[in-house]
Amino acid sequence: MSDNLLDIQNLHLEFHTYDGVAKVLAGVDLTVRRGDVVGLVGETGCGKSMTALAVPRLIPMPPGKITAGQVLFNGEDLLAKPDDAMEQFRAQHLGMIFQDPTTNLNPLFTIREQLVDAVLYQRANDQRVPGRWLGWLPSAKQMRKEAYDRAVELMRLVGIPDGDKRIHEYPHQFSGGMRQRVLIAMALAGEPDLLIADEPTTALDVTIQAQILRLIKSLVKQFNLTVLLITHNLGVVAKTCETVAVMYAGRVIEKAPVRELFKNPQHPYTQGLINAVPTKYTQRGGLEGIPGLIPNLIDAPPGCRFHPRCPHVMDVCREVVPGEFWIAGEHSVYCHLYGDEA
Amino acid sequence: MNLRYYLMRRIFLIIPTLIGLSVLTFSIARLVPGDPVGLAAGPQATPEIRETFRRNFGLDKPLPVQYLTYMQGIFRGDFGESLYSRRDVFEDLKRFFPATFELTVMAIFIATVLGVPAGVVSAMYRNRIPDHISRVISLFFVSFPAFWLAMIFQTVLGRELGLVPIGRRFSIVEAPPNTVSGLYILDSIIARDLDSLWLSLRHIFVPALVLSFSALASITRITRASMIETLEKDFVRMERAIGIPYQLIITKYVLRNAFIATLTVISLNFGWLMAGAVLIETIFDWPGLGLYAVESSLSLDFQPIMGITIIYGVVFSTINIITDMLYGVLDPRIRYG
Repeated sequence: MSDNLLDIQNLHLEFHTYDGVAKVLAGVDLTVRRGDVVGLVGETGCGKSMTALAVPRLIPMPPGKITAGQVLFNGEDLLAKPDDAMEQFRAQHLGMIFQDPTTNLNPLFTIREQLVDAVLYQRANDQRVPGRWLGWLPSAKQMRKEAYDRAVELMRLVGIPDGDKRIHEYPHQFSGGMRQRVLIAMALAGEPDLLIADEPTTALDVTIQAQILRLIKSLVKQFNLTVLLITHNLGVVAKTCETVAVMYAGRVIEKAPVRELFKNPQHPYTQGLINAVPTKYTQRGGLEGIPGLIPNLIDAPPGCRFHPRCPHVMDVCREVVPGEFWIAGEHSVYCHLYGDEA
Repeated sequence: MNLRYYLMRRIFLIIPTLIGLSVLTFSIARLVPGDPVGLAAGPQATPEIRETFRRNFGLDKPLPVQYLTYMQGIFRGDFGESLYSRRDVFEDLKRFFPATFELTVMAIFIATVLGVPAGVVSAMYRNRIPDHISRVISLFFVSFPAFWLAMIFQTVLGRELGLVPIGRRFSIVEAPPNTVSGLYILDSIIARDLDSLWLSLRHIFVPALVLSFSALASITRITRASMIETLEKDFVRMERAIGIPYQLIITKYVLRNAFIATLTVISLNFGWLMAGAVLIETIFDWPGLGLYAVESSLSLDFQPIMGITIIYGVVFSTINIITDMLYGVLDPRIRYG
């Protein structure tokens, strides 16, 4: 078995809109090694979440359309799987947490109802869950009972006090942080191989953010999880991840171990990003942004998509999409500055 | 608890509603041009006879006095008597109301049982073949005039195929079940009389089906729209992402959210169907309130008109309260107080 749990290769995703075809992902390359915590950063609209949603195949199609590329999980292409097999796959191998804990829990059902179902259906395939109309069967009752016990256990694992009582409450009776804990419990119910966390702390306030990040980190150890963490917050990346991939306008442009990326950013965009983070040495008014705006993906710039904003732009950048150039060790960058053409 | 307080308050508030309704109906019924006495006494009546008529029914008194006298009677259970037939209005209502009520409940039941699954299937296969089929069928049935469809069903199913009786609530030769509620289906069940139950169901099926069509269409459409809206919600994506089977997501998690809108439409339709049952009742010779109401209105027979209006008012208000309670059952975030 290969070392890579998840290997996204040359993923192209288009959205058909009234204004034209938006090339949202234009050749995303990303690998996640077993046991790694990989951060995927980039600004709003750069395709981070779309990359994340492409793995469980949750992008609405239409209007979305994957035109090229592969999403390999343990060497198996997920894009080629039939729909029902994909449902099984999501249940058994995948956990996912999302940005907004208020909208991601179903408001009309108790935590118990939702968490027990999560436990039941994420079990391995050896035991079929009886249909709803067979709930009176002793075996079904037994399964529900076991699932319930596991659900209470999960409530404890994600740090919800009085989990055995609070499990009977509704989502609106929980605070935002507690709801996110519930969602984490649901995602981990089946002990997934891969946890995709799509901006898990963005909707929370800063103290709760820190708690949730700490929780995720401890669960990673406990469950031996592999995590793909999507965020636009470099601080979160620095605290949580081991490797980072930076995205810009539908492409990954730089990949590196986290310390290396912060110490030694190579892509002009990454350099700009890191310069834009205020530090204790930043003077008033001294924060540097990246000039220009993110490109319109319907009419994206040819060649390197960053070239209109790049301070080091060369002729080749305007025409040729840069390939992957290795800097050192596991640090690679998609930029012509480091290629043979420069 | 709060719920009991809320329920008491709601029930109590029916009273002012009904008083307002009765004032309005009374005024309209008595102020429209036309002379009920003239109609009731007949064209040959002399002025003296009319005068006697008028005095006997208390119609010579000022309107407010008449109204108060009438309302006093109602609180004693006395709804007056018809100018025309001289029958006791309360007895008539007791006879006709259960027939209409049973028909309406049955129609709403059919509309819900057929409409909700149709809406769910439509939403699941949005803009694909099943959705188009359900759209065409519901448009078809809602577009044809109900009385025309009623006659077609009556002719084809009743006369040509002989599957169902062509009209009436019950067989002419056999005795209906012991009257407890006046609802034949319920009474048959209470009496454990399977023959009566079967007969009642056979009689009610086609009229209720035809009556249900307009409601069926709107229930299907609103369920579809509401399902589609709910399917876009974040929690559906979350449920799919963690591997809850899609079928379970639809039938359990999404449907409950979507049903709140459907419930509103069901309760609205209940009122409309009950008021609109008259056409169906006429065609199927269904001895209901609708027919009674039309006859009374045509002859300006205001005592039955008042009685019918008040009954409708009570039913509407009750349905509203029940609907509001059901919202709370569906959505735990709704609190009463």
